[in-house]
Amino acid sequence: MTFGKLTYLMRIPVLPLFLALFGLVLSAHAAPRKPAADAEVLERLPLRAGDAGARELAALRSAMTAAPNDAAPATRLAQRYFDLAMARGDPRYVGYAEAVVARFGEPLPASLRFTRGLLRQYRHDFEGALADFAAAVAIDPDLAAAHAWRGAIYLVQADYAAARNECDALRRLGRGMLVGACIGLAQAYGGQLEAGYRSLQQALVASSDPDNRLWLLTRLGEVAAWRGESALAERHYREALSLGRDDGYLLAAWSDFLLDAGRPAEVVKQLAGWEASDSLLLRLAEAEAALKSPAAARLAQALDERFAAARLRGDTTHRAEEARYQLRLRGDAAQALGLAAENYRVQREPRDARILLEAAIAARDGAAAQFVRDWLRSSGFEDARLRRLGQESALGRSAYLEFRSAGR
Amino acid sequence: MMLRRWLLSLLLLLSLPVLAHKASDSYLVLDIKGATVSGQWDIALRDIDFALGLDLDGNGEITWGELRARQADIDAWALGRLTLLRGGGCSLQVADHLVDSHTDGAYAVLQLAGTCPGGGGELTLTYRLLFELDALHRGLLRLNLDGTTQTAVLSPERAEQRFSAGEVSRLAQFGQYLVEGIWHIWIGFDHILFLLSLLLPAVLVHEAGRWRGVANFRQALVEVLWVVTAFTVAHSITLSLAALGLISLPSRLVESAIAASVVLAAANNLKPLVEHRRWMVAFGFGLIHGFGFASVLAELGLPQETLVMSLLGFNLGVETGQLAIVAVFLPVAYALRATGFYRRGVFVGGSLITLVIALIWLVERAFDLKLISA
Repeated sequence: MTFGKLTYLMRIPVLPLFLALFGLVLSAHAAPRKPAADAEVLERLPLRAGDAGARELAALRSAMTAAPNDAAPATRLAQRYFDLAMARGDPRYVGYAEAVVARFGEPLPASLRFTRGLLRQYRHDFEGALADFAAAVAIDPDLAAAHAWRGAIYLVQADYAAARNECDALRRLGRGMLVGACIGLAQAYGGQLEAGYRSLQQALVASSDPDNRLWLLTRLGEVAAWRGESALAERHYREALSLGRDDGYLLAAWSDFLLDAGRPAEVVKQLAGWEASDSLLLRLAEAEAALKSPAAARLAQALDERFAAARLRGDTTHRAEEARYQLRLRGDAAQALGLAAENYRVQREPRDARILLEAAIAARDGAAAQFVRDWLRSSGFEDARLRRLGQESALGRSAYLEFRSAGR
Repeated sequence: MMLRRWLLSLLLLLSLPVLAHKASDSYLVLDIKGATVSGQWDIALRDIDFALGLDLDGNGEITWGELRARQADIDAWALGRLTLLRGGGCSLQVADHLVDSHTDGAYAVLQLAGTCPGGGGELTLTYRLLFELDALHRGLLRLNLDGTTQTAVLSPERAEQRFSAGEVSRLAQFGQYLVEGIWHIWIGFDHILFLLSLLLPAVLVHEAGRWRGVANFRQALVEVLWVVTAFTVAHSITLSLAALGLISLPSRLVESAIAASVVLAAANNLKPLVEHRRWMVAFGFGLIHGFGFASVLAELGLPQETLVMSLLGFNLGVETGQLAIVAVFLPVAYALRATGFYRRGVFVGGSLITLVIALIWLVERAFDLKLISA
């Protein structure tokens, strides 16, 4: 079964589940109670026992149980869980996958070491993940995916030279399409938007798989928007949407594009039914707030509860989004700046840079965004909006200094 | 497949945790006083289903009936993964089964009860629920150990944790109960209304069927001091007796009597029967109010090792709260005593409103109804 078919099958019960979940968010914190009737439905499960997805998982689980010391079935099960976590945005599956890996003692075989790397990067343990991928490659030099992941992590950390080393490793392994995607992003982030756009475009021409095309089109949309070519960006996003596949990242990028363009009504229409995803709920709440709709307060409250639940368990992977929530929906610039700065220590992509600059400007604390201005200078990243924000954040500081020296 | 994986990885890494749901947590609240354990454990139905299988008919829905059918298995599974040690292994049972909702869905609620061999000292807690199935599962613990509240996140790396109650100093404990006492008088409207009903006439004198203002401040102050002191002495006596477990009255009787005391105090302002020795009224009904304070203290829990200090702290807190009310009330009432606004509006009007509210309380509490207050 292809990945696409699997996600399609699994998505069927997702929408009602999301709606039920959202209802539960609103009715949360009820007091413990004893239901009156045995027939009362308390919970709807994401998978029914008879579903194809559930049957496949059951088969993978029993294969692992039948050969508990064999890494191959364990790896298959763990990777299926990981794919499920990606497709449905449900972190419980990541925990299931970690538990499968944890059944094996050190040293882990290459496949499980690689899998553990996937799970570690999910939790933003990037150093641990880089080490796992490096160890997996040391055991199995042909493991292109491990190079690809290392490249992706270096891009997030804004270490473009290291990312390019991984792209080179992929080229040596003859993985043409991976090379195109890897180089394209490294170029775009590293100050060569036009070259990056061309690399991604070439990869798109060579790719027929709809999942790959969707991803490449999304990134082309982002790069075009950074270059200020709004009409071209919209064309890429619309082509990606026309593939008819639900994709959280595409929807988030397209929503951000529409919000930047002052078209919140279209965001509301596009994201109907996606409230269960934290990142999309954030965009939806921003759009409703821009429209001054009565739903805005309810959505902001739901977001607040989700961030609170994550904080309770010490989860810090949401800081970039929480910063955006604090800045744009709560108007708390100081709180937003703290979160954005913490996030920027871990993740340094253009969107992370942007929220830090915006928070620093709002909090009138230009010094807090010095790292971003350093990055803009060293990378030469070409997005006009970010460069303007960078100048504004620095301007605030020097204007302040001027004011002080004039006052003296 | 490899490219797809890599692309997926990028989707994820682009700081977009598409967390439609949250990771698995259970909520464990434990209250341990000496050797007695009580508590509540909320575990997600999805997690129980993953571990034990709840959906008996395979329709993707978990009903109360399906959950009920597996209660014994669930209890054995959960309790087998939670160990409490205090002077030896504590025994734990599930006293009742309920359900509740958290942000990510429905939870089974296990109400816990148990006893430990030792009545004091360190507590060692070991938590292993779901860890073998879900390495990201966390137990979110809120522990009240002999009156000290602590929280902890239980993870596979920190599955066993030790807690001791002795970390809080006696002074801090005293301060904590002092604050609780102040807080209780501030939120205890029945106590405040009773006190105010007795204080309202303190700046007035009833002569020849009419009220007029007292001649000087000293006269009002003496009256207030008598009333407040009598109320304090009386409720301190019964509060201590009840908190030490020497006397116990049914709470419905106590609460009804408190409401009746407010009714009578307010009625006495409108048609005076007791005019001069109001301190005796304050003393008599103060005894009843003391039982009311004691029930609050029982809910807070009195740590055995600092019993007297905590009791003293709570009592002083109540007095402090009372004195704050008097300190605000008396100067204002004295300044306004000669005005018609005070005599008709505040004194007569206020007493009337108090009378009505207290009557409703009385009916509610005596007949166990809900009319205005929760």
